[in-house]
Amino acid sequence: MNPLGEKYLRKDFLPFLFCPGCGDGMIVQAFLQAVDDLGCVDDLALTAGIGCSAWIGVYMHVDILKVLHGRAIPAAIGIKATNPSRKVVTFTGDGDCLAIGGNHLLHAARRNIDMTVVMVNNQIYAMTGGQVAPSTVVGSKTQTTPYGNIEKQLDGCKVAIAAGATMVSRWSTAQPKQLTRAFKKALNHKGFSFIEIMSQCPVQTGRYLLGSSSPQFNFQWLKDHCVKEEDPSKWAEIEAQGKIPVGDFLQIEQPEFMEEVARMNQRVKEAQAKGGDR
Amino acid sequence: MKDAEKIEIDRRYCKGCMLCKYICPSDVFEPGQTRSDLDYLMPRVANLENCRVCGLCEMHCPDMCMTVIAKKKRKEKK
Amino acid sequence: MKKGRIKVMLGNEACVEAALLAGCRFYGGYPITPATEILEIMSRRLPLVDGLCLQMEDEIAAMVAVVGASWGGTKAMTATSGPGFCLMQEAIGLAVAVEAPCVIVNVQRGGPASGQSTSTAQGDFYQARYGSNGDYSLIVLCPSTAQEMFDHTIKAFNISERFRIPVIILSDEVVGHIREKVFIPDADQLTFVERKKPTVPMEDFVIFKPEENGVPLMPTFNTGYKSPVISQAKSQSGNRGNAKEAAENIHRLVSKIEDHMDEFAEVQVYGDEKAETAFVTFGSVCRAARSAVDMGRDKGLALRSVEVKTVWPFPDDLVRRALAGAKRIVVAEMNLGMLQREIERVIRQPEIKIELFSKIGGIYPQPQEFLRFLEEKR
Repeated sequence: MNPLGEKYLRKDFLPFLFCPGCGDGMIVQAFLQAVDDLGCVDDLALTAGIGCSAWIGVYMHVDILKVLHGRAIPAAIGIKATNPSRKVVTFTGDGDCLAIGGNHLLHAARRNIDMTVVMVNNQIYAMTGGQVAPSTVVGSKTQTTPYGNIEKQLDGCKVAIAAGATMVSRWSTAQPKQLTRAFKKALNHKGFSFIEIMSQCPVQTGRYLLGSSSPQFNFQWLKDHCVKEEDPSKWAEIEAQGKIPVGDFLQIEQPEFMEEVARMNQRVKEAQAKGGDR
Repeated sequence: MKDAEKIEIDRRYCKGCMLCKYICPSDVFEPGQTRSDLDYLMPRVANLENCRVCGLCEMHCPDMCMTVIAKKKRKEKK
Repeated sequence: MKKGRIKVMLGNEACVEAALLAGCRFYGGYPITPATEILEIMSRRLPLVDGLCLQMEDEIAAMVAVVGASWGGTKAMTATSGPGFCLMQEAIGLAVAVEAPCVIVNVQRGGPASGQSTSTAQGDFYQARYGSNGDYSLIVLCPSTAQEMFDHTIKAFNISERFRIPVIILSDEVVGHIREKVFIPDADQLTFVERKKPTVPMEDFVIFKPEENGVPLMPTFNTGYKSPVISQAKSQSGNRGNAKEAAENIHRLVSKIEDHMDEFAEVQVYGDEKAETAFVTFGSVCRAARSAVDMGRDKGLALRSVEVKTVWPFPDDLVRRALAGAKRIVVAEMNLGMLQREIERVIRQPEIKIELFSKIGGIYPQPQEFLRFLEEKR
């Protein structure tokens, strides 16, 4: 166990249930590195849903509420609402966040609640054996699209930006240093931050869609296909080549939801004290 | 540039994915013959003297098994 | 004589009044007739006590946020009606599985599906108990007046904290929307229960290891316990359990409630306790049954009305005692026969047929109809 692991992992739950070479374990490390650099482990409260990536937070020795499929974001809102000083982070997957949990992503982003959603994207439903996901490439032959996927992909970052997220980044597990930097940025960002992580899945995506279940092959695939491009006008060109734009896409300051709640409560209480209503 | 004292691979959690060998720029690792507690074939530190303590294997190991320990310098460099 | 004040209010309003007194400071909800007043009044009252009322994007989000708020350390509740109650079922099971104290109000309306949004019904009797998946138990209370709406809400928060479970208040449109006198005791006249928290250091604490009464201590997040709380079947450490551990935990989740029914089960009897003819009712129908008993007395009929106040876990012994000596039992309910089935199960006397006075479609049964039923179905 490396020193970072000795310091922060929940030892009695080890080993990681992830497959050999899975990107999820790399995300555990990149996130813990960020937490260590910031010294904020006691302020963390995690939530997660269902799927491989939902287990990322369980192995960290922090408070975690792992709920139902697709519902990690409302759970996070309940936890944040009851103590806004918490640093709330949700680990979710492309299915958990964009399919069943899509509605919750829209509204949490719209509210600009101070929390971080980390969406681990392996372009498939891996835990259940390799079914198509909203993020799966057109043409893919998955367990539920045996004749080829005919549905268009949904881009989580574009959805988050459109819904009102104030920090949006996409990186991959092939870039752990940039990932740690993005995590630190998100933990310090006041508002809704969304980090999508392209992550290798040797056993499902690799085996069924990319032609190889070798961890090295799948890791290299990410290195080859993730291209740093932070200018949205250039994304179409990159996507047309079958590649994935990564980078820090957005960071702006907007009124944050819990601060607005506190402001409203104050205003209402003052008005009431004066005998008024609003 | 440093020299490595030791590279520890935690046999309790190693899953033999060999990403350490893949990412290493200095050709330190080779496939080994020992099995980890999880029954995967572990990598072997074949060329410790090549290690520059870049830390990439430690950073990339998906099971956080790798610890690279640098040699302590006897004299302080000015 | 308790100290307090009397106010005329809606049943739904009485619920909010009680919840705030009990210390509820988080409400996650969604508008749905006939429960919407609870959300609206909470949105006006919670900011004044530094609470938070959130209208969520759907009922699923509302109930999951309530579970999050509970682990966040706050008393939390939601309210809905049939369609929303359906949506919340998975999350109610989640509250059971992670032992999160919380209160859910279902103001029943006509079903199925969108049904009759502005009409009363009692069709969710079984869903309140069995709506979620798997084996579990929880407590369901049935108010019949605005006063009971108040009293049951105080009780619901107390027993949810005591047992670490979701407690369902199974109301209906009549009780939710009736406007009548409610006596609100001063806060110092009421008892409030808080969940028990651990005091030992984290290293010595096992998160789902129960105390003597079958309920584990509950640490609030970010108080130094680093709790792993998962929705999967678990062992005491909080990790996924093997078959034996999972089974043991499920047994405990059930027995922690069902072994202690004397702490909360309640059945009331109105009228002549020895009358040979008994009505059995729950929720708003209790009101009409009482009037029918009074009307019957005026006509020289001896009648008793048995009112089940805590319908789940079903209080078999209390019901048997309340119906002791009855020769004719008429269950009156606004559904096609649900309480009736429980009474049949509990009163296994071949000479007594458990009769059903069923009224669906949304029109509340009148007291005269009870007496007419007794007459016509002799």
